[in-house]
Amino acid sequence: MTTIYQQLQTGDYDPVEAFEKAWERITRHEKTVNAFITIDDYNKLRVKAEEASKRIRSGEPRLLEGVLVAVKDNISTSWLPTTAGSRMLSCYQPPYNAYVVERLLEAGAIIVGKTNMDEFAMGSTGEFSAFGPTRNPWDLERVPGGSSSGSGAALAYRAVDLALGSDTGGSIRLPGAYTATVGLKPTYGAVSRRGLIPYANSLEQIGPMARSVIDTALLYKVISGYDPLDATSIKGPGIELERLQPADPSKLKICVIKEVLEASQKQVVAAFTRVIEKLEANGADVNYVSLKSQRYVLPTYYIIAMAEAASNLARYDGGIYNCGSLKMPTWEEQNIRVRSMLFGREVKRRIAMGVFVLSEGYRDEYYVLATRVRRMVRDEVLGLTRDCIIASPTSPVQPPRLGERISDPLSLYALDLATVTANLAGVPALQLPIATTSEGPVGIQLMARPWGEEDLFNTGLLIEEITGLRGVYAL
Amino acid sequence: MKMKIGLEVHVQLTRAGTKLFCGCDSDYRVYATNENVCPVCLGLPGALPVPSKKAVILALAAAMIFNCRIPDAIVFTRKHYFYPDLPKNYQITQYEKAGGAPVCLGGEFEYLDPDTWEWRKVRIRRLNLEEDPGRSVYPEGSIVTSRHVLVDYNRSGVPLLEIVTEPDIPSPRAARAFVEYLLLSLEYIGAVNPRLEGAFRVDANISLEGGERVEIKNIGSTYEVEKALLYEYKRQKLLLENGGQVKRETRHWDAVRRVTKPLRHKEEEEEYLYMPDPDLPPVLTRPLISEAKERLVTLPRHVFEWMTSKGVSREVAWSIVQVQHAAQLYKEALTSGTDPRLLARFIGVDYKGALKDLQKDVHDPGNWPEPAVFRKLVEYVQTGAYPLEAITGIVIPKLAVNPQVNLESILPEKASNVEEVIRIVIKENRKAVNDYLSGRRKALDYLVGQVIRKVGKKAIDPRTVRELLIKILTGERERRERNS
Repeated sequence: MTTIYQQLQTGDYDPVEAFEKAWERITRHEKTVNAFITIDDYNKLRVKAEEASKRIRSGEPRLLEGVLVAVKDNISTSWLPTTAGSRMLSCYQPPYNAYVVERLLEAGAIIVGKTNMDEFAMGSTGEFSAFGPTRNPWDLERVPGGSSSGSGAALAYRAVDLALGSDTGGSIRLPGAYTATVGLKPTYGAVSRRGLIPYANSLEQIGPMARSVIDTALLYKVISGYDPLDATSIKGPGIELERLQPADPSKLKICVIKEVLEASQKQVVAAFTRVIEKLEANGADVNYVSLKSQRYVLPTYYIIAMAEAASNLARYDGGIYNCGSLKMPTWEEQNIRVRSMLFGREVKRRIAMGVFVLSEGYRDEYYVLATRVRRMVRDEVLGLTRDCIIASPTSPVQPPRLGERISDPLSLYALDLATVTANLAGVPALQLPIATTSEGPVGIQLMARPWGEEDLFNTGLLIEEITGLRGVYAL
Repeated sequence: MKMKIGLEVHVQLTRAGTKLFCGCDSDYRVYATNENVCPVCLGLPGALPVPSKKAVILALAAAMIFNCRIPDAIVFTRKHYFYPDLPKNYQITQYEKAGGAPVCLGGEFEYLDPDTWEWRKVRIRRLNLEEDPGRSVYPEGSIVTSRHVLVDYNRSGVPLLEIVTEPDIPSPRAARAFVEYLLLSLEYIGAVNPRLEGAFRVDANISLEGGERVEIKNIGSTYEVEKALLYEYKRQKLLLENGGQVKRETRHWDAVRRVTKPLRHKEEEEEYLYMPDPDLPPVLTRPLISEAKERLVTLPRHVFEWMTSKGVSREVAWSIVQVQHAAQLYKEALTSGTDPRLLARFIGVDYKGALKDLQKDVHDPGNWPEPAVFRKLVEYVQTGAYPLEAITGIVIPKLAVNPQVNLESILPEKASNVEEVIRIVIKENRKAVNDYLSGRRKALDYLVGQVIRKVGKKAIDPRTVRELLIKILTGERERRERNS
């Protein structure tokens, strides 16, 4: 299976042909899958594809010339609505582009549309979108994972070549695991958040998603970099695509988190163990370790995320974000009305809990304590990743069926068991597929030290060789 | 009755150049409604704040004026409340108790009380750097009654320094002196032009012995600070003397009716959900300290004490210090041979007075001549080339009209000539002189006219002639009285 990167390298990528084929799939499957909230106009996209083809023929292609990219709908685009999956923003079209969107456009990418997502990225299954749930192309009765549900699904049925997601507690990696795609949650500060509609600022990063490790790395190269207009952006080492190659297993040290394994389903553990054993057979140094703070990561993560969410979502009042449909006698009544009507149930739940953990008298017991535990988690993870790639199943289960978990928040939040750790610690984490079964795909998660993206990609390339799951797709 | 006054002063850093977290202009007054805005200060989703280095440096310089303990890193905090003019429904500020770190962790400030010429000490509780909200207009009354609210976000995000004092101020008049000296100090470090409309606002706390603390909100000028506190002092005193109780409350100063009115009862702490802003990593202060220090080279107190040490009276020195450009001019004009007192008088009394007579802005550097001009004027008087009266009565008023004029062109006839002419006129007009001396004042006008006619078209100020005539004739009268 050739990757987009290879096709671009060899000059085999024909934007017009790629676009026409993708458009045909979109026409055929999109109605069922519901991966997009907004798709740009066919004619406009066709013109862009033709221009890209011309540029390739004239020998001046840019890094992503004519490549079809889907962008999660919480990333601002000035020419397409940006809803964050919420009715609150159903009329909102930003007056500016996100930093990553500017980078995509400069690199010659074609942005096909804006992908479906859990409202304000709050969800792990994609079912909390105000625009209806996305279905998993591998099994339409199952969820594609969230919150970057549409980006995962669009890649899985080949509506696009690459996709952008955002990851606050696993929102890139869970859809990756459930749709057998690859996704990276970058080191905190590696990708500018400017233009990303915030859910929990201190935890989230925009990240690349694709059907192969090398394509994920390619998109990462385009979107990463220092942005002086994001105060949390950091000058990192960058990445050289030419240098990437499958890691030498004999020099590889893997640390498997026992606690995550113990909490995972049998089939998931089986698929995971097969890969780990092959790595070990090839000479990797595999260690089963305990992450002592594992039992605290979920409550810590949810307290911090909800506190920041309550704060970030305060701005959505009756002022400029309502579509003009709700008019109440006073500003205060209008506020209450707009926020009650236009936020979904899960969003309101998280705002309420966020307000609670920040309230006078509770702040110390919840929010402040959580920030302290977070430092503990970070220190432990930094210690482990100093000389080890941390490995675990990405999700403790295979993709749940639609409706299976949405009514029980705790079982829903438990899906993030393995993923939130990387967000709390700020370290990079890569998801890639290791199995596709009748119960849906299974993914592996690799975590490295800050700025260890290159190690992750190289390890990912090695695992791809072992599993043969490069460029797989459904439908 | 003894009272305690504490102040909370909000000063816009109008000279920071940009807003606190974006590139929009810190002086929004020249813009049409909602023209000085961008995604950041409109609080649009995904827009990110980046602290302005200049604003932080100005805040640090202010903290240094107040002899503050400055933390190694400052941390911005989100303070949440729903309000139409607050686009994010939270304000980015600094609050120590919720994981934030303000630019000042307590300090001390001395201000000049020009009534007594004493330097009075006030403890500074804290100093916050925060963003100003937008401005709301309720076209149909108040926030409660109006069906619409119009909001202008031009001001949204302007850097605001909140200065909170301990209740160390002894009187309404001292409160005014404090605010005036505070603003002057902040002007000297290049932080603010306090004369811009809305550049500062004051909230004042006042309590009398045996009464609760009352807060007066939103006072817009230093004059009103004194008036509002005086009103509140009298109101509370009357209440207490009649056996009443002063309850803890917040009142509003009605500048038109000149009374304070109840606003709301402060029964409990409001819930602001304070949280460190996750978009803003701590700002390290050490690398900025030296740049902040450079702004403290000249402070009003330095200039004032330096001038008085040269023999300049406190009144004149204070008059100069109050106008930053005048203080600068004074320093540049003073050389080893120049009489410091005479120079101070010309700048701080005569020239400043002449500008005020002409209703010209004393703070506009364009309304002042070059330092060399003042040095020359002092020299004229010191060498006897012109009498003091000629400079103060003729030259300075003309200079104030056009400060860039060539000095030579407005110099009067040498004073000795004028005096000679006057003596001749007195000799030639004995009758008019006698009339004047016997009390007929109109005769003086006639004599002035005669002098001016004799001098001819040469520029001369009738006031000077009149003064000189009076001086000479008064001498004449005294001589006659002695003789009789």
